[in-house]
Amino acid sequence: MNTPKLRVICASVLCAIFVVGLFAGTVSPYPYAKQFRERPNAAPSSTHLLGTDSLGRDLFARLIYGTRVSLLLAPAAALLATLLAGIFGGLAGLVGGWCEKFILAATDLSMAIPLLFVLLALRALLPLDISPVLSVIATFALLGLLGWPSSLRVVWAATKNLRNCDFLLLARATGCGRWRMIVRHLLPNLRPVLFAQFWISIPVFVLTEATLSMLGLGVIEPLPSWGNLLRGLEDISAVTANPWRLTPLFLLALVVICFQLILPAQEETA
Amino acid sequence: MPSPLKNLALTILLALAVPVRAQTGGELHFCLHGEPKTFNPILVDDEASENVRYLTGGVLIRLNRQTQALEPALSTSWKISRDRRTITFHLRKGIHFSDGTPFSSEDVAHTMRLLMDPETHSPTGDAFRSGEGTAQVQTPASDVAVITFPAPIAGLERLFDQVAVLSAHSPKKEMAVLGPFYVADYKAGSYVLLQKNPNYWRHDAQGHALPYIDSVRLDIQRNRDIELLRFRRGELQLINRLDAEQFERLQRENPAVTRNAGTGLDAEELWFNQSPAAPLPASKKSWFGMTEFRKAISMAINREDLCRVVYAGYAKPAYGPVSPSNHFWFNAHLEDPKYDPQGALRLLAQAGFRLDNDTLKDRAGNRVEFTVVTNSGNAAREKIATMIQQDLSQVGIKVNVVTLDFPSLIERMTRTFDYEACILGLVNTDLDPNGQMNVWLSSGENHQWNPSQKSPATAWEAEIDKVMREQATAPTEKERKAKFDRVQQIAAEQQPFIYLINKDVLLAVSPSVGGVAPVVLEPWGLWNVDTLRLGPAPELGAQE
Amino acid sequence: MLAAVCILGGLLSASLVRFSPGYGADERELDPRFSQASVEAIRNSHRLNAGLLSYYGRYLAGAVHGDFGSSEWLQRPISSLIKERFPVTAKSVLLGVLLAWFVALAVSLAGVFFRGFYFDISTTLASGVLIALPAAVVAIFSVYLRAPVFVAIAVVTFPKLFRYLRNLLNHAYSQPYILAARARGISRAKILFHHVLPLASPALFALLGVSLAVAFGAAIPIEALCDSPGVGQLAWQAALNRDLPLIMNLTLLVTLITVAANMLANIAHEGAL
Repeated sequence: MNTPKLRVICASVLCAIFVVGLFAGTVSPYPYAKQFRERPNAAPSSTHLLGTDSLGRDLFARLIYGTRVSLLLAPAAALLATLLAGIFGGLAGLVGGWCEKFILAATDLSMAIPLLFVLLALRALLPLDISPVLSVIATFALLGLLGWPSSLRVVWAATKNLRNCDFLLLARATGCGRWRMIVRHLLPNLRPVLFAQFWISIPVFVLTEATLSMLGLGVIEPLPSWGNLLRGLEDISAVTANPWRLTPLFLLALVVICFQLILPAQEETA
Repeated sequence: MPSPLKNLALTILLALAVPVRAQTGGELHFCLHGEPKTFNPILVDDEASENVRYLTGGVLIRLNRQTQALEPALSTSWKISRDRRTITFHLRKGIHFSDGTPFSSEDVAHTMRLLMDPETHSPTGDAFRSGEGTAQVQTPASDVAVITFPAPIAGLERLFDQVAVLSAHSPKKEMAVLGPFYVADYKAGSYVLLQKNPNYWRHDAQGHALPYIDSVRLDIQRNRDIELLRFRRGELQLINRLDAEQFERLQRENPAVTRNAGTGLDAEELWFNQSPAAPLPASKKSWFGMTEFRKAISMAINREDLCRVVYAGYAKPAYGPVSPSNHFWFNAHLEDPKYDPQGALRLLAQAGFRLDNDTLKDRAGNRVEFTVVTNSGNAAREKIATMIQQDLSQVGIKVNVVTLDFPSLIERMTRTFDYEACILGLVNTDLDPNGQMNVWLSSGENHQWNPSQKSPATAWEAEIDKVMREQATAPTEKERKAKFDRVQQIAAEQQPFIYLINKDVLLAVSPSVGGVAPVVLEPWGLWNVDTLRLGPAPELGAQE
Repeated sequence: MLAAVCILGGLLSASLVRFSPGYGADERELDPRFSQASVEAIRNSHRLNAGLLSYYGRYLAGAVHGDFGSSEWLQRPISSLIKERFPVTAKSVLLGVLLAWFVALAVSLAGVFFRGFYFDISTTLASGVLIALPAAVVAIFSVYLRAPVFVAIAVVTFPKLFRYLRNLLNHAYSQPYILAARARGISRAKILFHHVLPLASPALFALLGVSLAVAFGAAIPIEALCDSPGVGQLAWQAALNRDLPLIMNLTLLVTLITVAANMLANIAHEGAL
């Protein structure tokens, strides 16, 4: 499966999507907020490649601009969450004792506590008219900071297991330094878990962003994002009538799959 | 052909020729859109409970939802004294509650006592509260009830449409009812099952006991898409108040099941926060307080587009607090303001605003910009906000749209006043303007643009206060109407609420339900539930 | 320890609700039919639980006697609300997790055994599409296809689980001593049960706890959308209504379940070694 060819294809698909997102302004045929009120819910045509949404906004333009918002920030948030899970999970697994107990209890708690209320309180603290860019960045930073607990346990378990492995005992016996041990032996073995976490987080964060926008956080109208485009899928009869509305789903799936196909490949080359 | 056989053939022929009369019995199945909070008719406030109350409760006077006229129900006649403080009911005789307890004037007295108890905090009871003191009920005979209120009440008899009579003696308390159905089973979060009340008082012209239907099953289903899906499968027979978009799609697939009852009573509206307690910059407060500013905004909003795009044409532009469907109270003499961005700009220029490079600035040079909040989860409102955003950009105003969950929004509206403008639809269940007293009086809690004022902040609010109070005590309906027309006129001149649209009341009704005549008043398709009939249920919608 | 974490969770969430915007705001305040006095009464009814410290005190005192207070929104005792709804959710979450594990294990083991290009690519594609589906969309599809709620929960849980599982198993199979074992011709089943599973077991057991938490998380939007009368639907409504006592108890319950699941996983793991 990890043929270099496939990897190249995936990498170039991802690059292409990133580039299109970056240069949305030049690629897009229309501004994303322009409402063609004469033709709401239009079918795809030469003027509107993917048709229009219920307000007559060009869906192709919205998809491209949405790519910029979601795809630049969701991986960043995923990286942040993975990093946090890796650091704290690794710490708990390596150090053990009270530190381990404390971190695990904190994880259990933050999985059970309704974080919705933290977000609501945050919304109340921020002024109503924060600039869209700032609100988007804040949202994804938030997602990154809050999204780690579910993977922490897995990282912790893997670390704990590794600590007792023969080769680490051997390394320790031969006087391998603590940092060298972490970098050379521990991290490479934690990689599959960390990559899985990264990969899972991207779509989760893309989708959670849409939920946040319902609370007045996140991407606000008229700025598009994949999350709020995907929310349109909830109207199932609209989707069956206009199957091209599924495009954002396929694009997200494509990105997720490409990431998945590239990451394990790197693992082997590392 | 031998004659017996011939007779048989004839019988069969006859049977085929005469349309099969829809039988009685069967179960009507539809959805509530929320958990009914109470089955006690006195405490009902939410829509789901209101639906259950309509289906189960017996009232003294019924407002005919179709003709908007009052009709005798549990009372055969009533009389209001000249001072409009006392109402005398003559009750129907020989009627029993669903559990067999006989009905008498004592039950009316009991109901009024509970209703008017200040500790009950019943929205139905509060509507009767026109002055200090409590209502006195006399029962000179078992079929006569005389109710005396401490002060005159305008539109008194109409209020009894909401008062479901409770039994004074039944051990089942509020679960013993006088309406067409009684609550037989309830599973929280799942469904309410109503069974036919064998003691229901109404009979049809042929003397058959009503209702025709044996039971009603109300599933609790918040998701409207799933509701439509289940209707298409034939699992549900009725949907009250469909989304315009869903209605349009259904109409294309199967026009036979869609019913449009016409323009509804509820409006969607935009208002600016004029509360002096609002933590807003002085410049913004001064814009929001300017009549020209509010009128210009109203002129710059393209309501026709809102109706056409957001509601697929199933809505009418709204310009005032009363929907044209409210036949008696609508002020037809008011001029509809036209969509006119140029006119809006002229009006803004008069008030000292100027357009500078496509951005509007006030006298001090501040850029005109505000944030509209609305509740999240309401797709139509979000779309309205987004369209207004584009409309107002045409006159150089920058609008931000923020959606908040309902409790946060209410907190901002009623406690912190930390918002600039808001789009909401304030519910209007009562045809009579008296029900809107708390909205129009400047001291009212629901005077949303500047609630609970000690004394009216502006001359026009003072005039509304005065006219509204006069309306409530005017001796004839005609005089009341003249007063309320004046309120509508002031509202049009001042635009404290910028009314946007009245949406149509859209329903989906399975062909298996006979006798449905949808109306714009709650409960829409169900107002004549006791005479609905169920036929064989055809599977709907070929495409799944 | 267990009790301390649970109570801490409950108290924390109660404080969060208490200080979140909109606490004590009631939709009924917008109803113009209510008189001033009634609106005041509605507002006062929420002030009962507003003093947090006294609320904690009352709650703990009540809880000792098995009284968990009553819901502000539904006006019913919480113990009966949860008793009514918990079995529904427990059943669909357990079945959902079981189904997700079964499918994920089967697919990832098959992937390890038959290291075929097309098999790998098709599972990658399938899980990629599944993971990109919003839970709400999965819920609506499940109604559309008349599938029970647990299937929707399994569909949401599966791709997340599958990804971890496959990476763990792949990693285990690429260990030098397993390669060596394979080279020596030891049977696949033996390798799997004697070498691979023990090697991956701590992470697998941790995954079990995590997958339960994921499934519970997924149950909230799915139950709310499908209107399945479970705890998820209750939690969603409670959050929207700022029902402090109800949310506090639900948090307690969820904390209890996550902590207990993780503890069980640990014990099972240590027992297995």
